[in-house]
This record gives sequence, C-alpha cells and structure tokens, in this order.
Amino acid sequence: MSVPVAPKPRRIRTPRPLPAAVPLVSVAAAGAAGGAAIAAAPAPARGWIAATVLVGWVWLAVTVAATALNSRRLHKAVTATGGELRSLQTHTAQTAAGSAHLVNVTLPTVLKRVRDGESAESAPSAPPAPPDPHPRGAAQPATADVGGAGGGTAAAEAAAANVAQRLARSAEELDRLTGVVLPAAIERLRGGASAGTALAELEQPADPRLRAALESIVREFAFSERRAAAAQGASAKVLSRVQAKAVSMLAELREMQDRHGEDVFGDLLTLDHNTSQLGLLTDRLALLMGGRASRAWNKPIVMESILRGAVGRIAAYQRVRLHSSSTASVAGYAAEGVMHLLAELMDNAANFSPPIDEVHVYVEERTAGLVVTIEDSGLKMADAALRRAEEAVAGRFHDLAHLQSTRLGLVVVGLLAAKYNMSVSFRPSSRGGTGVVVLFPPQLLHQSRTLAPEQPAHREAEPAPRPPVRPLPQQDVRRDTRPGAHGAQRSERPGGPRVATPGGLPVRPPGRTMAAADRGRSGPEEVPADRPAPPARDAGAQFGAFHRARKARDDRDRYDTGQ
Amino acid sequence: MTRRPVDLGDPDRLYTVTGGRSRADDEKFDLVTLVVSECRPSPGMQSEHVRILELCERPIAVVEISAELRLPVTVVRILLGDLLSTGRITARHPRAGRSLVDLPDSSLLEEVLLGLRNL
Repeated sequence: MSVPVAPKPRRIRTPRPLPAAVPLVSVAAAGAAGGAAIAAAPAPARGWIAATVLVGWVWLAVTVAATALNSRRLHKAVTATGGELRSLQTHTAQTAAGSAHLVNVTLPTVLKRVRDGESAESAPSAPPAPPDPHPRGAAQPATADVGGAGGGTAAAEAAAANVAQRLARSAEELDRLTGVVLPAAIERLRGGASAGTALAELEQPADPRLRAALESIVREFAFSERRAAAAQGASAKVLSRVQAKAVSMLAELREMQDRHGEDVFGDLLTLDHNTSQLGLLTDRLALLMGGRASRAWNKPIVMESILRGAVGRIAAYQRVRLHSSSTASVAGYAAEGVMHLLAELMDNAANFSPPIDEVHVYVEERTAGLVVTIEDSGLKMADAALRRAEEAVAGRFHDLAHLQSTRLGLVVVGLLAAKYNMSVSFRPSSRGGTGVVVLFPPQLLHQSRTLAPEQPAHREAEPAPRPPVRPLPQQDVRRDTRPGAHGAQRSERPGGPRVATPGGLPVRPPGRTMAAADRGRSGPEEVPADRPAPPARDAGAQFGAFHRARKARDDRDRYDTGQ
Repeated sequence: MTRRPVDLGDPDRLYTVTGGRSRADDEKFDLVTLVVSECRPSPGMQSEHVRILELCERPIAVVEISAELRLPVTVVRILLGDLLSTGRITARHPRAGRSLVDLPDSSLLEEVLLGLRNL
C-alpha cells in the first residue's frame, strides 16, 4: 500500500530586524549635517535656517524612530508566525504518519482479526493504536464498520452454506426419486400392481412437492399401463374370434372344394386364398397383441407342407418357387409359428421385388438344423434398412411402442424367432436382391434326436427321396441298430404280417398284384440276417421304438405300394 | 381366451398344390381314365406327384387316385396333366365297351395255341 509521504516542511526565512544603530547613525548624521548647514549659513538667515533644520531633523528623528519601532514589531510578528508554521508542519507530519500507520498497520490488522472471527469490538484494541488521537478516532468507526461488514459476511456465508446443504439434500432426493424410486414404481406397475399398491410399497420422498409429483406420475403411468393392457387384451380377444372364424371358413372352403365341381372350383380357390391372407393378417396382429396363432397342429408337418402353408398365405404366392427335397418335419407345436414366420419373410421378399421376378426358397439340412433361404431379386436393401430389418427380427423390440404401422411383419418375425429360438439373418443375395437365411434349431424338427444324424446317410443311400414310402424300410434297418429298436421292430414289424403269413406264405393285400406282394415279402426276411445283436435298452427308447414302429406301419398302410 | 381345438387337417391349401390353377389344361382325364407311371419319382418333385407316380405303378383310375390322395378330382387332373406333359405317366381309357368285335379272330388264336404247344 502506497502511503502519501508527507511533504518536507519548507524552510521559512525569518527577516532579520535592522540593527538599532542604523537609524541612530542616520539621525546623528542628519543632525551633524544640519549643524554644519546652520554654521555655514549667513547670519541673517541663520535663525530661519536653524529653525528649518531643526524642524526637519526632528521630523526625521521622529520618522526614523517610528520606522524602527514598526520594524521591530513586524519582526516580532514574523518570528511568531514562523514558529506557529513550524509547529503546524510538525503536526501535519505527525498526522500523516498516523494516517499511514492506520492505513498500513491498524486497518489490515483489524480486518485480519475480524476475518479470523474476532468481534468488531475486541479487534481494534489488539493492534497498536495510532499514536495520534485523530486517526485513532477515525480508525474506531472504520474498524466498527469493517467489523460489522465482517459479521454480515459470516452470516451470509452461514446462510449460503445452509442453502447449499438444502440444495444438496433436494438434489439427492431428486436423484433418488429418478434413479431408484421411479424405476421401481414403473417396474411394479408393469408387473401389474395398481397405483395404490405401488405407492404404498415405495419409499416416499420427504419433500411434499416431490411426493406429489411421484404420486401423480405413478397414477398417470398406472393409468397408461392399464389402458395399454386393456387395449391389448381386447384386441387379442377379438382377434382370436376373427382367427377362429377364418379357420372355420378355411375348413368350410376346403369341404366345398371337395364337394363342388370344376365350375366353381376356381372361385373357391380364390376365396380360399383371400381367407388365407386374412388369416395371415389377423395372426400377425394377434401375435403382436400377445395372442396366439390361429391354428395348432398335433402332428409333425413335413417341410413341403410347411413351405406351401406359408406361401399360400401371401398374395404373390405364384411368384414364389419352392426348392425343397427335404423330408424333415417340423414339430407340431412350432409348425404354425414357423409357417407364419416364413410367410412374413416371403411376403416381405415378394413385396420388395419387382412383380415379374420370382422369389426362390431353398431348404437345406445341416447338422446345426434346417436352413431355409429366401432370396428375391429386387433391389438391394440399403444399409440402414438392412440394419433396421436385422434389429426388428432380432426380437429385441418387444414393446408395442416401437411399432411402425407398416413394419409389423418383421416385428412378428422377431417375436416368433425369439420364441422358437430360430435365427433370422439378412444378407445381400447373389441374385441381386436380398436373401434371408432362417435357421431352425434341431429341437424344432420332429424326432431330430434320432433322425438328424441319419439324414446324410439317407440321402446317399436314396438319391431320390420319395418321402413317405421308399425310405421307410431303410429307416427301419437303421433304427434297428439303435438301442431298444430291435425287439420292438421285430415284434411290430409291419411288413411281415402284411405281406406274408407267419409260415412264410405270401399274402396279397387288396389292390396289389401277387408279384408285388412277393417282392415286398422278401424285404423283411432279408433284413434280420444283417441285424446286430440287440443291445441293452431302456424304457424310453423302447417306447420311442414302439411309437416309430406304429407310425411306420400306419404309413405303410396308407402308402404301401410294394418294393 | 377359449382354447381352440387342435387342427387335424393339412396346412397345404389346394391352390398351392396346383400352383394357382383351377382347371386342367386338357380334357384328357375323366374319372375312369387309367393312369400308369412311366418312371420313378425323382428328387425334388412335388409330394403329390411322387405319390401319384407310386400309385400308378399299376394302372389306376383317376378317381381312385383322388380318393387315395384325398384331393378333389379337379386337382388330381391338374396334377396328372403336369405329369403327362412331362411324359412321366401314360393314360388310356378302359376298354369296357369293346367286346366280340374287338377280339382277335379265332384263326389267330388257334395259331397262337399251336405255337405254344410246340414250345
């Protein structure tokens, strides 16, 4: 802090008084000169001149005396004034020093102490007081003011700390509300709890405003949830009736197709096709709404029927070419879902390819399961569209809120794929369009546990797969190598009693020539020679063998044409 | 939600079996036309074609095929038309109406008998 330095007191020159001899000498000189003048003067004029000189001398002497007197008085006055000035200068210097002390030492000390928390009253006593009473007097109110200000600052700081604490508490409460309480509330509400239950179970925030906000949010959300659930339930219910109606219409149409002749057959087929498309639409909505598919099959459905059942549900079914020589069957519980999934994908492929181009569907059997590829030759999907489609079929978008009105099909595909553990992936097609690859896990395939390893061998042994009839005896032979199959197969051997008596005589079934019956008879007789010894078996395998044998016999009853 | 009865039918619709056709191209097949397969089924064929070829290993009437396949006659005729156009089956009408006039004359039969005896 710069302190103005007190100006150095100027030296005051005191005028010296004239020495007292000077007027006296001048008066004496004047007297001498007057005497000389009187002496020199002619006698007649001597008296007049003497009088004049005397008068002049007296005047001079009086004037000189008065001047000396004045001078002396003035000198005294000047001396007194100079002393006073000096004392004033000294005083000014002292005041300046006191001020400097006040500014430099006292006030900072006072401020420091006040800041350190001492009271305003005790503060000024501590620092060395300025020596001068005036600065001290000036310092007192200043320290008091500073002390007051310091006290105000402390109060303000305390208030600010209080406010900050409250703010932090509020923020923490708000964080807790948004981070913990609301998610918990939403989870409970989604789980079906009512607003009251959810609120009662939740930890309520202390702030009444937050409490009110939480309650209104929870009530509003519960209402929305209830409305959504009600809408969904009502839709599913109504749709299930529409589905049932469509299914019964299909059954009636099928019956009419049998009953009526060629003249109305085409019309019936058209109606059938339209009803099937209607079934696809209602099934799609019903699945989205959490309902079920319209049909449920209690038997495995062969792949050809699966594909045809799927392709029959789309408008452009004549543009779809099916390439399948697979004899695999899809388990009954999954057949409808699989058909719907394939129908949606075929519909997608047909809709996004030129109306003159064909959509090709290929079926391959792999060890990982069954692969169905649907390829169109339309435009390549853009990357974004491909990504959207992948996301849709990934089954992540379970929420109806993500639905777009025109993209329902792929969402249903995602739902079904997730339900049956199928994988659906898109890739650019070698034909120029988009290919969809659907992989069915082996669990979906009927009797996949026993049939899957046999498929390649079966294909090699039988280059012409003729599904129901030809493979059966061969499958029987192979099955016989499995645990438990042997005895059941022999006892239930369908061919034996059908084509030959126990004694070995040929039996001709109705509708068959004797030669054909004889040919059929040779088969089962040759087979036992190749059979290995029956291994140990358990009850499950025994039952499975029994079931297979029964099925084989049933199939033979239906399709038997002789070997 | 009421449980629906389990479906017992087939998922195939008839228009998918016929590929959308509702009428046979030719009028070659009537209910009693006899059909015989000329070859064995090949892989990748439609299952109905396969079954027809298997049924027709011996001559069989169209109506019988229809009954065996449980398909309307119209559909069977369309399918048979497919097979006929690719030469996998042959069809002929039963010759029920021919009797004495169509039989070979007795002199020919006698010659055959003589030849057989001379074997």
